[in-house]
Amino acid sequence: MSDGYTILALDEIEPVPYHQREGQKILTIQRLLDFRAAGINGWIGDAGEGLVPEHEEDSGSEELYVVVRGHARFTVDGNDVDAPAGTLIHVLAGENRVAVSEEAGTIVVAIGGRIGEAHGPSGWTSFVVADALRREGRMDEARAAIREPIEQFPDAWHAPYNAACFEAIAGEPDNAFAYLQQALRIDAQAVKGYAPQDPDLDSLHDDARWKKLVG
Amino acid sequence: MNVAHIDELDRIEMPEGFVWRPVRRRFDIRSFGTNVYTPSEAGGQIVEEHTEAQLGHEEIYLVVRGRVRFTVDEDEHELGVGRLVYVRDPQLRRGAVALTDDAAVLTLGGKPGEAFEVSAWEAMFAAVPYAQREEWDEAIRIHEEALTERPDHPALLYNLACMECRAGRSLDALLHLQRSVALEPKWAGYAQRDSDFAAIRSEQGFPAA
Repeated sequence: MSDGYTILALDEIEPVPYHQREGQKILTIQRLLDFRAAGINGWIGDAGEGLVPEHEEDSGSEELYVVVRGHARFTVDGNDVDAPAGTLIHVLAGENRVAVSEEAGTIVVAIGGRIGEAHGPSGWTSFVVADALRREGRMDEARAAIREPIEQFPDAWHAPYNAACFEAIAGEPDNAFAYLQQALRIDAQAVKGYAPQDPDLDSLHDDARWKKLVG
Repeated sequence: MNVAHIDELDRIEMPEGFVWRPVRRRFDIRSFGTNVYTPSEAGGQIVEEHTEAQLGHEEIYLVVRGRVRFTVDEDEHELGVGRLVYVRDPQLRRGAVALTDDAAVLTLGGKPGEAFEVSAWEAMFAAVPYAQREEWDEAIRIHEEALTERPDHPALLYNLACMECRAGRSLDALLHLQRSVALEPKWAGYAQRDSDFAAIRSEQGFPAA
Protein backbone atom coordinates (compact mmCIF):
# COMPACT_ATOMS: atom_id res chain seq x y z
CA MET A 1 0.00 0.00 0.00
CA SER A 2 1.39 3.44 -0.90
CA ASP A 3 1.84 6.26 1.60
CA GLY A 4 -0.76 8.20 -0.33
CA TYR A 5 -3.75 6.37 1.12
CA THR A 6 -4.96 4.45 4.16
CA ILE A 7 -7.61 1.78 4.68
CA LEU A 8 -9.36 1.86 8.04
CA ALA A 9 -12.07 -0.37 9.55
CA LEU A 10 -14.17 1.55 12.05
CA ASP A 11 -14.88 -1.50 14.21
CA GLU A 12 -11.18 -2.27 14.48
CA ILE A 13 -10.42 1.10 16.07
CA GLU A 14 -9.95 0.81 19.81
CA PRO A 15 -12.84 2.84 21.27
CA VAL A 16 -11.85 5.48 23.82
CA PRO A 17 -14.17 6.01 26.82
CA TYR A 18 -15.77 9.44 26.87
CA HIS A 19 -16.64 10.97 30.20
CA GLN A 20 -20.11 12.47 29.66
CA ARG A 21 -22.21 9.32 29.97
CA GLU A 22 -21.60 5.76 31.18
CA GLY A 23 -20.58 3.49 28.34
CA GLN A 24 -19.95 6.32 25.89
CA LYS A 25 -17.07 5.59 23.50
CA ILE A 26 -15.46 7.65 20.76
CA LEU A 27 -13.66 6.40 17.65
CA THR A 28 -10.83 8.85 17.09
CA ILE A 29 -10.84 8.76 13.30
CA GLN A 30 -9.35 12.25 12.89
CA ARG A 31 -6.39 11.44 15.09
CA LEU A 32 -5.71 8.12 13.39
CA LEU A 33 -5.88 9.47 9.85
CA ASP A 34 -4.71 13.05 10.37
CA PHE A 35 -7.46 14.09 7.95
CA ARG A 36 -7.23 17.88 7.51
CA ALA A 37 -10.09 18.99 5.29
CA ALA A 38 -12.86 18.61 7.88
CA GLY A 39 -13.46 17.21 11.33
CA ILE A 40 -14.38 13.53 11.52
CA ASN A 41 -14.85 11.17 14.45
CA GLY A 42 -17.12 8.27 15.33
CA TRP A 43 -19.18 7.01 18.22
CA ILE A 44 -19.88 3.35 18.96
CA GLY A 45 -22.28 1.82 21.46
CA ASP A 46 -24.59 -1.04 22.35
CA ALA A 47 -28.33 -0.66 23.01
CA GLY A 48 -28.97 1.97 25.68
CA GLU A 49 -25.48 3.38 25.59
CA GLY A 50 -24.74 6.97 24.72
CA LEU A 51 -23.38 7.84 21.29
CA VAL A 52 -23.09 11.54 20.46
CA PRO A 53 -22.76 13.49 23.74
CA GLU A 54 -25.35 16.17 24.42
CA HIS A 55 -23.93 19.45 23.20
CA GLU A 56 -24.17 22.48 20.97
CA GLU A 57 -21.25 23.39 18.74
CA ASP A 58 -19.77 26.42 20.49
CA SER A 59 -17.06 26.29 17.84
CA GLY A 60 -19.67 27.34 15.25
CA SER A 61 -19.36 24.10 13.29
CA GLU A 62 -22.16 22.61 11.25
CA GLU A 63 -22.20 18.83 11.59
CA LEU A 64 -23.38 15.85 9.59
CA TYR A 65 -24.08 12.63 11.47
CA VAL A 66 -24.05 9.40 9.49
CA VAL A 67 -25.51 6.23 11.00
CA VAL A 68 -23.14 3.69 9.50
CA ARG A 69 -24.32 0.57 11.32
CA GLY A 70 -27.07 -0.43 13.76
CA HIS A 71 -29.79 1.91 14.93
CA ALA A 72 -29.63 5.20 16.81
CA ARG A 73 -32.08 7.69 18.28
CA PHE A 74 -31.19 11.36 18.02
CA THR A 75 -32.78 14.23 19.88
CA VAL A 76 -32.17 17.64 18.31
CA ASP A 77 -33.61 20.69 20.05
CA GLY A 78 -36.17 18.43 21.71
CA ASN A 79 -37.20 16.64 18.50
CA ASP A 80 -36.72 12.85 18.41
CA VAL A 81 -35.32 11.29 15.25
CA ASP A 82 -35.43 7.55 14.66
CA ALA A 83 -32.18 6.85 12.83
CA PRO A 84 -31.55 3.38 11.37
CA ALA A 85 -28.37 2.65 9.43
CA GLY A 86 -28.13 4.90 6.38
CA THR A 87 -29.67 7.93 8.08
CA LEU A 88 -27.99 11.32 7.58
CA ILE A 89 -28.69 14.15 10.03
CA HIS A 90 -27.46 17.69 9.39
CA VAL A 91 -27.33 19.82 12.53
CA LEU A 92 -26.51 23.54 12.74
CA ALA A 93 -24.07 24.87 15.32
CA GLY A 94 -26.59 26.28 17.77
CA GLU A 95 -28.87 23.25 17.85
CA ASN A 96 -28.66 21.01 20.91
CA ARG A 97 -28.12 17.38 19.95
CA VAL A 98 -27.64 14.02 21.62
CA ALA A 99 -27.81 10.43 20.35
CA VAL A 100 -28.16 7.04 22.01
CA SER A 101 -27.76 3.58 20.58
CA GLU A 102 -30.77 1.31 20.12
CA GLU A 103 -28.88 -1.71 18.79
CA ALA A 104 -25.66 -3.57 19.58
CA GLY A 105 -22.60 -2.23 17.79
CA THR A 106 -24.20 0.92 16.44
CA ILE A 107 -21.72 3.30 14.81
CA VAL A 108 -22.36 6.97 14.09
CA VAL A 109 -19.78 9.05 12.23
CA ALA A 110 -19.75 12.80 12.91
CA ILE A 111 -18.34 15.18 10.29
CA GLY A 112 -17.98 18.89 10.95
CA GLY A 113 -16.54 22.18 9.85
CA ARG A 114 -16.93 25.95 10.12
CA ILE A 115 -18.46 27.72 7.17
CA GLY A 116 -16.05 30.04 5.38
CA GLU A 117 -13.02 28.90 7.34
CA ALA A 118 -10.23 26.46 6.66
CA HIS A 119 -10.60 23.50 8.97
CA GLY A 120 -8.07 23.65 11.78
CA PRO A 121 -7.78 20.43 13.76
CA SER A 122 -7.76 21.39 17.43
CA GLY A 123 -6.20 18.35 19.03
CA TRP A 124 -9.50 17.74 20.80
CA THR A 125 -9.35 14.00 20.19
CA SER A 126 -5.82 13.85 21.63
CA PHE A 127 -7.23 15.48 24.76
CA VAL A 128 -10.07 12.93 24.88
CA VAL A 129 -7.56 10.07 24.60
CA ALA A 130 -5.29 11.57 27.26
CA ASP A 131 -8.23 12.25 29.57
CA ALA A 132 -9.41 8.64 29.27
CA LEU A 133 -5.92 7.38 30.12
CA ARG A 134 -5.75 9.73 33.12
CA ARG A 135 -9.09 8.47 34.40
CA GLU A 136 -7.74 4.92 34.16
CA GLY A 137 -4.72 5.95 36.22
CA ARG A 138 -2.32 5.48 33.28
CA MET A 139 -0.68 8.82 34.01
CA ASP A 140 2.57 8.41 32.07
CA GLU A 141 0.68 7.43 28.91
CA ALA A 142 -1.77 10.28 29.52
CA ARG A 143 1.08 12.80 29.82
CA ALA A 144 2.58 11.55 26.58
CA ALA A 145 -0.77 11.73 24.77
CA ILE A 146 -1.58 15.24 25.97
CA ARG A 147 1.76 16.50 24.62
CA GLU A 148 1.03 15.25 21.07
CA PRO A 149 -0.92 18.32 19.87
CA ILE A 150 1.68 20.85 21.12
CA GLU A 151 3.99 20.43 18.16
CA GLN A 152 1.16 19.63 15.80
CA PHE A 153 -0.81 22.81 16.57
CA PRO A 154 1.74 25.40 17.75
CA ASP A 155 -0.81 28.24 17.75
CA ALA A 156 -3.31 26.46 20.00
CA TRP A 157 -2.92 27.70 23.60
CA HIS A 158 -4.97 24.86 25.04
CA ALA A 159 -2.43 22.26 23.89
CA PRO A 160 0.35 23.34 26.29
CA TYR A 161 -2.28 24.44 28.82
CA ASN A 162 -3.71 20.92 29.02
CA ALA A 163 -0.17 19.54 29.28
CA ALA A 164 0.39 21.90 32.24
CA CYS A 165 -2.74 20.51 33.92
CA PHE A 166 -1.57 16.93 33.50
CA GLU A 167 1.92 17.74 34.81
CA ALA A 168 0.39 19.46 37.84
CA ILE A 169 -1.80 16.43 38.54
CA ALA A 170 1.26 14.17 38.15
CA GLY A 171 3.14 16.24 40.76
CA GLU A 172 5.63 17.73 38.31
CA PRO A 173 5.40 21.49 39.02
CA ASP A 174 8.51 22.47 37.03
CA ASN A 175 7.09 20.87 33.89
CA ALA A 176 3.66 22.33 34.65
CA PHE A 177 5.00 25.89 34.88
CA ALA A 178 7.04 25.44 31.70
CA TYR A 179 3.90 24.42 29.77
CA LEU A 180 1.88 27.17 31.43
CA GLN A 181 4.43 29.72 30.25
CA GLN A 182 4.20 28.30 26.74
CA ALA A 183 0.41 28.63 26.82
CA LEU A 184 0.65 32.20 28.13
CA ARG A 185 2.95 33.14 25.26
CA ILE A 186 0.28 32.02 22.78
CA ASP A 187 -2.77 33.59 24.46
CA ALA A 188 -2.25 35.17 27.86
CA GLN A 189 -5.81 36.48 28.10
CA ALA A 190 -7.37 33.06 27.55
CA VAL A 191 -5.02 31.33 29.99
CA LYS A 192 -5.45 33.95 32.71
CA GLY A 193 -9.20 33.76 32.30
CA TYR A 194 -9.24 30.00 32.67
CA ALA A 195 -6.41 28.98 34.99
CA PRO A 196 -7.52 30.49 38.35
CA GLN A 197 -10.73 28.40 38.39
CA ASP A 198 -9.17 25.20 37.09
CA PRO A 199 -8.96 22.60 39.88
CA ASP A 200 -6.33 20.66 37.88
CA LEU A 201 -3.87 23.47 38.70
CA ASP A 202 -4.70 23.75 42.43
CA SER A 203 -1.39 22.19 43.44
CA LEU A 204 0.48 25.11 41.85
CA HIS A 205 -1.27 27.92 43.73
CA ASP A 206 1.21 28.07 46.64
CA ASP A 207 4.24 28.22 44.38
CA ALA A 208 5.72 31.71 43.91
CA ARG A 209 5.75 31.19 40.16
CA TRP A 210 1.94 30.98 40.09
CA LYS A 211 1.45 34.56 41.28
CA LYS A 212 4.14 35.80 38.91
CA LEU A 213 2.63 34.04 35.87
CA VAL A 214 -1.10 34.00 36.49
CA GLY A 215 -1.48 36.89 38.92
CA MET B 1 -31.93 20.10 11.60
CA ASN B 2 -32.50 18.19 8.41
CA VAL B 3 -32.76 14.43 8.07
CA ALA B 4 -32.70 12.04 5.13
CA HIS B 5 -32.05 8.37 4.65
CA ILE B 6 -29.63 7.57 1.83
CA ASP B 7 -32.51 5.99 -0.10
CA GLU B 8 -34.40 9.30 0.07
CA LEU B 9 -31.62 11.28 -1.60
CA ASP B 10 -32.02 12.38 -5.20
CA ARG B 11 -30.88 9.74 -7.65
CA ILE B 12 -28.94 11.11 -10.59
CA GLU B 13 -27.71 8.49 -13.05
CA MET B 14 -24.45 9.57 -14.59
CA PRO B 15 -23.38 8.55 -18.10
CA GLU B 16 -20.31 6.82 -16.58
CA GLY B 17 -22.61 4.28 -14.90
CA PHE B 18 -22.62 5.36 -11.25
CA VAL B 19 -25.48 7.09 -9.45
CA TRP B 20 -24.85 10.39 -7.68
CA ARG B 21 -26.90 10.93 -4.50
CA PRO B 22 -26.27 14.59 -3.55
CA VAL B 23 -25.84 15.19 0.18
CA ARG B 24 -24.02 18.54 0.43
CA ARG B 25 -26.48 20.04 -2.04
CA ARG B 26 -29.52 18.58 -0.26
CA PHE B 27 -28.53 19.96 3.15
CA ASP B 28 -26.75 23.05 1.79
CA ILE B 29 -23.62 22.07 3.71
CA ARG B 30 -21.03 24.82 3.30
CA SER B 31 -17.95 23.65 5.16
CA PHE B 32 -17.03 20.38 3.44
CA GLY B 33 -17.91 18.33 0.38
CA THR B 34 -19.95 15.18 0.93
CA ASN B 35 -22.06 12.90 -1.24
CA VAL B 36 -23.30 9.33 -1.47
CA TYR B 37 -22.79 7.13 -4.51
CA THR B 38 -24.66 3.98 -5.45
CA PRO B 39 -24.37 1.71 -8.49
CA SER B 40 -26.88 1.15 -11.26
CA GLU B 41 -26.42 -2.58 -10.64
CA ALA B 42 -24.15 -5.03 -8.84
CA GLY B 43 -20.77 -5.08 -10.54
CA GLY B 44 -21.28 -1.56 -11.81
CA GLN B 45 -19.18 1.51 -11.11
CA ILE B 46 -19.94 3.19 -7.79
CA VAL B 47 -17.04 5.65 -7.53
CA GLU B 48 -15.82 6.94 -10.87
CA GLU B 49 -12.17 6.45 -11.68
CA HIS B 50 -10.52 9.80 -11.14
CA THR B 51 -7.82 11.78 -9.40
CA GLU B 52 -8.25 14.92 -7.33
CA ALA B 53 -5.20 16.53 -8.95
CA GLN B 54 -7.16 19.49 -10.27
CA LEU B 55 -8.98 20.36 -7.05
CA GLY B 56 -6.22 19.26 -4.67
CA HIS B 57 -8.74 17.59 -2.40
CA GLU B 58 -8.03 14.87 0.11
CA GLU B 59 -10.95 12.44 0.29
CA ILE B 60 -12.48 9.78 2.49
CA TYR B 61 -14.68 7.07 0.97
CA LEU B 62 -16.77 5.28 3.62
CA VAL B 63 -18.79 2.16 2.78
CA VAL B 64 -22.18 2.66 4.44
CA ARG B 65 -23.97 -0.32 2.85
CA GLY B 66 -23.12 -3.46 0.91
CA ARG B 67 -19.70 -4.40 -0.42
CA VAL B 68 -17.42 -2.66 -2.90
CA ARG B 69 -14.07 -3.25 -4.53
CA PHE B 70 -11.84 -0.20 -4.46
CA THR B 71 -8.86 0.31 -6.70
CA VAL B 72 -6.42 2.90 -5.40
CA ASP B 73 -3.07 3.46 -7.05
CA GLU B 74 -3.63 0.10 -8.81
CA ASP B 75 -4.08 -1.75 -5.48
CA GLU B 76 -7.40 -3.57 -5.03
CA HIS B 77 -9.29 -3.72 -1.73
CA GLU B 78 -12.62 -5.43 -1.07
CA LEU B 79 -14.46 -3.46 1.59
CA GLY B 80 -17.68 -3.89 3.57
CA VAL B 81 -19.76 -1.65 5.81
CA GLY B 82 -17.75 0.55 8.16
CA ARG B 83 -14.53 0.38 6.17
CA LEU B 84 -13.09 3.51 4.66
CA VAL B 85 -10.39 4.56 2.26
CA TYR B 86 -8.62 7.82 3.02
CA VAL B 87 -6.78 9.11 -0.06
CA ARG B 88 -4.51 11.91 1.11
CA ASP B 89 -2.57 12.21 -2.16
CA PRO B 90 -4.74 14.02 -4.72
CA GLN B 91 -2.63 12.59 -7.56
CA LEU B 92 -3.62 8.98 -6.84
CA ARG B 93 -6.09 7.44 -9.25
CA ARG B 94 -9.01 5.84 -7.44
CA GLY B 95 -12.34 4.21 -8.28
CA ALA B 96 -14.68 1.49 -7.06
CA VAL B 97 -17.19 -1.04 -8.31
CA ALA B 98 -20.14 -2.36 -6.33
CA LEU B 99 -20.04 -6.02 -5.41
CA THR B 100 -23.64 -5.93 -4.15
CA ASP B 101 -26.51 -4.03 -5.73
CA ASP B 102 -27.37 -2.30 -2.43
CA ALA B 103 -23.87 -0.84 -2.01
CA ALA B 104 -23.54 2.79 -0.96
CA VAL B 105 -20.40 4.86 -0.43
CA LEU B 106 -20.30 8.19 1.38
CA THR B 107 -17.55 10.57 0.31
CA LEU B 108 -16.04 13.43 2.27
CA GLY B 109 -13.52 15.85 0.82
CA GLY B 110 -11.90 19.23 0.82
CA LYS B 111 -8.61 21.01 0.38
CA PRO B 112 -6.54 21.08 3.57
CA GLY B 113 -5.77 24.56 4.83
CA GLU B 114 -8.44 26.27 2.73
CA ALA B 115 -12.04 27.24 3.38
CA PHE B 116 -14.39 24.93 1.49
CA GLU B 117 -15.76 26.12 -1.85
CA VAL B 118 -18.63 24.33 -3.54
CA SER B 119 -17.17 22.44 -6.51
CA ALA B 120 -18.42 23.48 -9.91
CA TRP B 121 -18.92 19.86 -10.95
CA GLU B 122 -21.91 19.60 -8.62
CA ALA B 123 -23.96 21.93 -10.81
CA MET B 124 -22.81 20.10 -13.94
CA PHE B 125 -23.83 16.76 -12.42
CA ALA B 126 -27.16 18.18 -11.22
CA ALA B 127 -27.95 19.43 -14.71
CA VAL B 128 -27.28 16.06 -16.38
CA PRO B 129 -30.82 14.59 -16.14
CA TYR B 130 -32.34 17.81 -17.50
CA ALA B 131 -29.86 17.92 -20.36
CA GLN B 132 -30.60 14.26 -21.15
CA ARG B 133 -34.31 15.13 -21.39
CA GLU B 134 -33.46 18.32 -23.30
CA GLU B 135 -35.12 20.42 -20.59
CA TRP B 136 -32.72 23.25 -21.30
CA ASP B 137 -34.38 25.94 -19.18
CA GLU B 138 -33.79 23.98 -15.96
CA ALA B 139 -30.29 22.89 -16.98
CA ILE B 140 -29.45 26.54 -17.71
CA ARG B 141 -30.99 27.69 -14.42
CA ILE B 142 -28.80 25.27 -12.44
CA HIS B 143 -25.67 26.60 -14.15
CA GLU B 144 -26.71 30.24 -13.68
CA GLU B 145 -27.28 29.57 -9.98
CA ALA B 146 -23.81 28.05 -9.63
CA LEU B 147 -22.30 30.99 -11.51
CA THR B 148 -23.68 33.46 -8.97
CA GLU B 149 -21.16 31.94 -6.55
CA ARG B 150 -18.38 31.23 -9.07
CA PRO B 151 -18.89 33.86 -11.81
CA ASP B 152 -15.49 33.26 -13.39
CA HIS B 153 -15.48 29.50 -13.55
CA PRO B 154 -14.47 28.63 -17.15
CA ALA B 155 -15.97 25.11 -17.19
CA LEU B 156 -19.31 26.32 -15.83
CA LEU B 157 -19.41 29.10 -18.42
CA TYR B 158 -18.55 26.64 -21.19
CA ASN B 159 -21.24 24.18 -20.09
CA LEU B 160 -23.76 26.99 -19.83
CA ALA B 161 -22.87 28.07 -23.36
CA CYS B 162 -23.42 24.49 -24.62
CA MET B 163 -26.89 24.38 -23.12
CA GLU B 164 -27.84 27.86 -24.28
CA CYS B 165 -26.80 26.89 -27.79
CA ARG B 166 -28.92 23.74 -27.67
CA ALA B 167 -31.80 25.87 -26.37
CA GLY B 168 -31.49 28.19 -29.35
CA ARG B 169 -30.11 31.10 -27.33
CA SER B 170 -27.26 31.70 -29.74
CA LEU B 171 -26.15 35.15 -28.59
CA ASP B 172 -26.03 34.13 -24.90
CA ALA B 173 -24.11 30.99 -25.90
CA LEU B 174 -21.57 32.96 -27.90
CA LEU B 175 -21.01 35.50 -25.12
CA HIS B 176 -20.56 32.84 -22.42
CA LEU B 177 -18.28 30.78 -24.64
CA GLN B 178 -16.14 33.85 -25.34
CA ARG B 179 -15.94 34.56 -21.61
CA SER B 180 -14.93 30.96 -20.89
CA VAL B 181 -12.17 31.07 -23.51
CA ALA B 182 -10.94 34.45 -22.26
CA LEU B 183 -10.52 32.95 -18.81
CA GLU B 184 -9.03 29.66 -20.01
CA PRO B 185 -7.99 29.44 -23.69
CA LYS B 186 -8.10 25.61 -23.81
CA TRP B 187 -11.90 25.77 -24.11
CA ALA B 188 -11.55 27.20 -27.63
CA GLY B 189 -10.12 23.88 -28.77
CA TYR B 190 -12.94 21.92 -27.16
CA ALA B 191 -15.51 24.25 -28.72
CA GLN B 192 -14.17 23.58 -32.19
CA ARG B 193 -15.02 19.86 -31.82
CA ASP B 194 -18.13 20.12 -29.64
CA SER B 195 -21.33 19.21 -31.47
CA ASP B 196 -23.34 21.35 -29.04
CA PHE B 197 -21.98 24.41 -30.88
CA ALA B 198 -22.86 23.29 -34.40
CA ALA B 199 -25.45 26.06 -34.72
CA ILE B 200 -23.03 28.91 -33.95
CA ARG B 201 -19.65 27.64 -35.11
CA SER B 202 -19.74 29.74 -38.26
CA GLU B 203 -20.85 32.89 -36.40
CA GLN B 204 -18.54 35.87 -36.27
CA GLY B 205 -16.79 35.92 -32.88
CA PHE B 206 -16.80 32.14 -32.41
CA PRO B 207 -13.44 31.45 -30.74
CA ALA B 208 -10.72 30.20 -33.04
CA ALA B 209 -8.79 27.15 -31.85
